[in-house]
Amino acid sequence: MSILVACAFVFGAGLFVVLSRKDVIGVLIGLELMLGGANVLLVTLATVGGQDASTTQSLGLMVLVMAAAEAAVGLALLIAAFKRTGRSQVGEFGEVTG
Amino acid sequence: MSPTIAFWAVIVLLTSGALGVVLSREAMRLTLSFGVFLLGVAASFLYFGLAFLAVAQLFVYVGGVLILVLFALMMVRRGDGDRLVMEVRWDWAAAVTASAVTVLIVTVLAPEFASMVPAPGAADGGAMASVLLGRYLPAFEIAGALLLVAVLAVLVIVGRGDER
Repeated sequence: MSILVACAFVFGAGLFVVLSRKDVIGVLIGLELMLGGANVLLVTLATVGGQDASTTQSLGLMVLVMAAAEAAVGLALLIAAFKRTGRSQVGEFGEVTG
Repeated sequence: MSPTIAFWAVIVLLTSGALGVVLSREAMRLTLSFGVFLLGVAASFLYFGLAFLAVAQLFVYVGGVLILVLFALMMVRRGDGDRLVMEVRWDWAAAVTASAVTVLIVTVLAPEFASMVPAPGAADGGAMASVLLGRYLPAFEIAGALLLVAVLAVLVIVGRGDER
């Protein structure tokens, strides 16, 4: 039960960071907090649910891969956007053009 | 270390890291707190006996994503002297939304955890390989393809930025 509360807290903290930070990097870190909390909860639930450790580990690895890919693409977008516009805050991106 | 102490160490690492990310204004402190949280995630995997996942978490996140975040911070932020300060907007609506979601998760999932006894498990690499390359081969291949697409996307996005 304590780990459920901890994971829910981490997810909530990530959501708060996503909603309240102005920097894109802060928002990305908030997203990673949410994904990390969800992944720990997923692994815990699989363990509690009696799944064998290999299946649990495979599932966790998949989520980890997705999250790493998301972080890489997000940071690349940020750097590309910064190089073009010189902006790095969420509110400064008023228009999206090709 | 007894299982109870290890369990609470994991909880402390997870929550203190997340709290640090919420409260930090300085970019380096925020990144360090994020690192503490990532170590907590790896420790939680280790606690459940998922050593491979814990090592993968350390290599991919602490060794990869965290360094990427640091590089991005160095490239993007314009420092105020030696300190890289990030603006924080204390939004009450965001705090209420985040708290509501936290309470919702605990309320919905609490019955699943009622009978939980935290007990470390065990998994060896060979068994995981047979699962990944057997039953979950399509998902494994799709994840590999996704990573390849992500690498190509990053190269295209950053490369296009250079052309302009």
